[in-house]
Amino acid sequence: MDPILLGCLLCVILPLVAFGLIMIFTWRRPNLSLAISLVASTIPLIIAWTMLFKLWGIKEPLIFTFNWLVSDLVKVPFGFLIDPVSLIMLVIVATISWLIQIYSIGYMGGDPGFGRYYADLSLFAMSMLGLVISSGLLQLYVFWELVGLSSYLLIGFWYEKFSASEAGKKAFVVTRFGDVGFFMGLVFLTIFFGSLDIAGLNAAAASDKMPPWLITTSALLIFCGIAGKSAQFPIHVWLPDAMEGPTPVSALLHSATMVAAGVYLLTRIFPFMAASATAMLIILAIATLTMILSSTIGMVATDIKQVWAYSTVSQLAFMAMGLSAAGLAHGTLFAGYFHLTTHAAFKALLFLCAGAFIHHFGTNNFFVMSKEGGRKLTIPMVTVTIAALALCGIFPMAGFFSKELILGTLAHLDNKIWVLLGLFGAFLTSYYTFRVIFVMLFPRADDHPAWEQYWEEPEPHGHGHGDDAHGHGHGDAHAHDDAHGHGHGGHGDSHGVPWVMSFPLLVLAGFTLVLGFLQTPLETFLLGKSEPHEMSFVLLASAVGVALAGIGMAWLDWGRKTASWQGFIKQIPALETFFIQKWYIDHFWRWFLDTFIYGVFSKWFTYNDRRVVDGGVDAVAFSCIGGGRWLSFIQTAFLQFNLLFMVVVLAAVGIYLLMGR
Amino acid sequence: MNVLLFGPELFYLGMALVLFFFSLQRRVQVERTYWAALGLAAAGFVVALYCLFQNGEIFFRAYKVDLFSQIFKAALALGLFLVMMISRNLAHIEPRYHAEFFFFLTTCTLGMMMLVSSVELLTIYVALELSSYSLYILVPLRKGDGLDVEAGIKYLFIGAVSSGFMLFGLGYIFGATHSTYLSEIIPRMPELLASPIGLVGLLLTLAGLFFKLSVFPFHFWAPDVYQGGANQVVTFIATASKAAAVAVILRLAMLGAKYGYSFTQALVVLSIVSMTLGNLVAIIQKDFKRMLAYSSIAHAGYVLIGVITFQELGYASAVYYALAYLVMNFTVFMVLSEVATDGQDLKIEELAGLYSRSPLLTMSLILGIFALAGVPPSIGFTGKLLLFTSAMNEGYFWLVLIGAVNGTVSLYYYLKVVYAAYFLEPRQGPLQLSWPTKALNWTLCSAILVFGVFPDGLVELARTAVRMVL
Repeated sequence: MDPILLGCLLCVILPLVAFGLIMIFTWRRPNLSLAISLVASTIPLIIAWTMLFKLWGIKEPLIFTFNWLVSDLVKVPFGFLIDPVSLIMLVIVATISWLIQIYSIGYMGGDPGFGRYYADLSLFAMSMLGLVISSGLLQLYVFWELVGLSSYLLIGFWYEKFSASEAGKKAFVVTRFGDVGFFMGLVFLTIFFGSLDIAGLNAAAASDKMPPWLITTSALLIFCGIAGKSAQFPIHVWLPDAMEGPTPVSALLHSATMVAAGVYLLTRIFPFMAASATAMLIILAIATLTMILSSTIGMVATDIKQVWAYSTVSQLAFMAMGLSAAGLAHGTLFAGYFHLTTHAAFKALLFLCAGAFIHHFGTNNFFVMSKEGGRKLTIPMVTVTIAALALCGIFPMAGFFSKELILGTLAHLDNKIWVLLGLFGAFLTSYYTFRVIFVMLFPRADDHPAWEQYWEEPEPHGHGHGDDAHGHGHGDAHAHDDAHGHGHGGHGDSHGVPWVMSFPLLVLAGFTLVLGFLQTPLETFLLGKSEPHEMSFVLLASAVGVALAGIGMAWLDWGRKTASWQGFIKQIPALETFFIQKWYIDHFWRWFLDTFIYGVFSKWFTYNDRRVVDGGVDAVAFSCIGGGRWLSFIQTAFLQFNLLFMVVVLAAVGIYLLMGR
Repeated sequence: MNVLLFGPELFYLGMALVLFFFSLQRRVQVERTYWAALGLAAAGFVVALYCLFQNGEIFFRAYKVDLFSQIFKAALALGLFLVMMISRNLAHIEPRYHAEFFFFLTTCTLGMMMLVSSVELLTIYVALELSSYSLYILVPLRKGDGLDVEAGIKYLFIGAVSSGFMLFGLGYIFGATHSTYLSEIIPRMPELLASPIGLVGLLLTLAGLFFKLSVFPFHFWAPDVYQGGANQVVTFIATASKAAAVAVILRLAMLGAKYGYSFTQALVVLSIVSMTLGNLVAIIQKDFKRMLAYSSIAHAGYVLIGVITFQELGYASAVYYALAYLVMNFTVFMVLSEVATDGQDLKIEELAGLYSRSPLLTMSLILGIFALAGVPPSIGFTGKLLLFTSAMNEGYFWLVLIGAVNGTVSLYYYLKVVYAAYFLEPRQGPLQLSWPTKALNWTLCSAILVFGVFPDGLVELARTAVRMVL
């Protein structure tokens, strides 16, 4: 067997086997489950990096397929497509998923559901790796849904907590809602184009073999799925809620890899999507709106994970902006894809640092963390600052390079409004990011009035605010008061962060520092050639300018000694309420669900179910039973009757045969 | 003569003799008898497998050894071995009859092995009777309330009448063709198209075989025998003897292949009535074995679908289905006899809460039941799919449609079993399983799934085998 094919198969099969083994046999034994899961994530890691080095510089994609389903109308192959795009994503997924598994040893240690947690992580690894190297859209869709399933399982990991199980449900339903569109797009393509092969689609769209209406319609339908997965307006509402899951999960799924799957799909079929200018324009508009919206909400959140979650939404939107702008301006996918790569590193880092704080202080509120002495945790504090600088796009962090590229792509568009909005978004990003950093770095004196405002009383059973840290204690509902569970939720100033948790932080910080300088080799690898980017000085200056302006603004509001710790947005109460209420989009969906889904569809479908379906099924069932009862009269205890019956039937058949001869 | 050609039969003859001596002993040695029987049955399966690829004709061409017959012999040997596996605890058979119980099982197997190899009318008849008479004795061997005697009498009478029909039919065929060799009769059958004699002969001949398979209208014995017989005996009747019946029906139905429309039409009607009657009446049953009896009538109808096509694919799927049926039905019966620890008749509701009493048995039960119902990815689904596909290729749309509807109806009563096992509260304590039983459970479950997902090897084997018959 071809070693590459073998590698691909192992990447998909090993984590699946680990999932099965843990779920069926070893879930009660944490250490064994951990060992199985680690083996099943280390081998794909090695495979992914080996493949990247072996195949560095490949020109032609490697495709392995076999037919899974063949009919006279449609042929559905399953297989693997290995090209630079999938290789890099494969490495990202394998690496981050491995780092998270290491990190979780510390973070989840002692949790009653430890085995189940690692089983779910393995399931996720399997589905995400499979998604990345899928050769066809249907196969990708299958893994896409599996990713959604593992996301559901992991968000609702502490299922005994009502908000967590609700958040899991919301994430699943909302992304599924987008996937309905995705699936319709696939059906549409199958009917009118006849194939879902990624390479074939890209080639056909690029060479004008497909009618424009087909491309536009299916591209927009597929974008529904992308918007669901990558949390774009108006179905981004699930991602902030998804922070109910354990923080490593947020780092792995809801920032670095799973939510990036949407953007990844956009790059995967980029030539196809780019063939429709209409679709690209719509995507650009939606992405821009999403970016602004989520950045503004990030400015008022007090939960550190919420801030990073909204920042994820806005950065995903930023990638989508880069890609769609490139599609409009006949550019390449590199800008968006490069940002996807760098973002995976620094956003995972942000979340993992947040996790380190949460683990230590037992709260999600970064004001509380600040008061409790958050800055004394040196490694997380340094790395979170590095990541924050990257997020703002400050040289020499990775984010600087990729953000510059996207802004450059946006500047290529004739309409300059897009790049201006992009710059505005960058400003907001810097502001809310450094709001967190400054609050953590420069706590006020104990009698400062601002504490009143942001301090939250611990919940009755000694836990922080609605955070996930107290999940450690309660696998069982009755273990709530169990002291061992959140022993580390107290003030363990003396012990720092365990090395299993700081090691991934350092690795990711290393990536954040280095990745930016790999821009040229990566571009050569992805596109086959590297074009010199004529970066206008004005743009460069304004990009760095807005980032610094954002940081400066944050300094004025939150950093300097005399800062009021109010935020400039406080000056406009209406706007602040609007942002705190998250633009009322959750309210809108609530109203929409209550009015239309429950009020109209549910009601009528329930009626139909009760009367028509149930009635019909009952009628069939009763008639079957009646038929059985009636026929059972043949089965009498009279032997003579039985024998007679046999003879009569045989005679009847004989007569029939003789007649029909 | 190559002794291997007659190898399995000789082995089982020897095994019968050994068991016969056991039955003569004055002192009853239950354990020793059982282990001897089990060991011999295991060895017999090995012998049957060893002789799988023998080929040749013996006994004046009355006896044909080919892949077709050898596959069924291996299946029969397997069936016997499996039944022996669950016969450790023969609660309803008196200890002094244990040796005889094993002896008659062996002679029955021997008879059926000869049956699947016979290609001469008289040999077929003698072999059939050897197997039938063993079963006539086995059914009333159960000690009990007289239900067994009623079942035994009914079985004997209906069997005797069917045999009478068959003998009558064989006589007609011999009279018309002046030969008892199938190889000589088949070419002459088309000449007889014009006269009723061949047709009546054929119909009557098939009657005897339909009795074995419990096809309507020769099914009357099944519910009573299933309910009245000891669990292990019924298991044997429901698995091994069905496979043998399918084999010989496949051989003999070829006589009617040239009769065309009306003959196949008659078979179609029998098939449809069998499945519909079996499935509908099964719904109202409360006794588990009686329900399975009606289910076996329905399955006889399904198998006939493959026979009706008279094509390689249909025949191969009938063979596949017979083997699959052996495995899945045995799985269900194994669970049944494990749950009925004191050998009683099991009501469906007595399966209550099996999931907590023994998760392993419940898994086997569910897999077996779902396989019988034809739920993917089990072996039963693949079997049904093959049968329906082959019939569809020959244009029997309505037959397939009715078959599929019947498959759905059958879910009704199969799911009742699942319902009882999972949703009713247990009334008894947990069941202890010995390790061989556990191993058996795992083996059967994996067989049901593995051959359901990867049927190619078995199907190819079946196709090669049926080419010997067509």
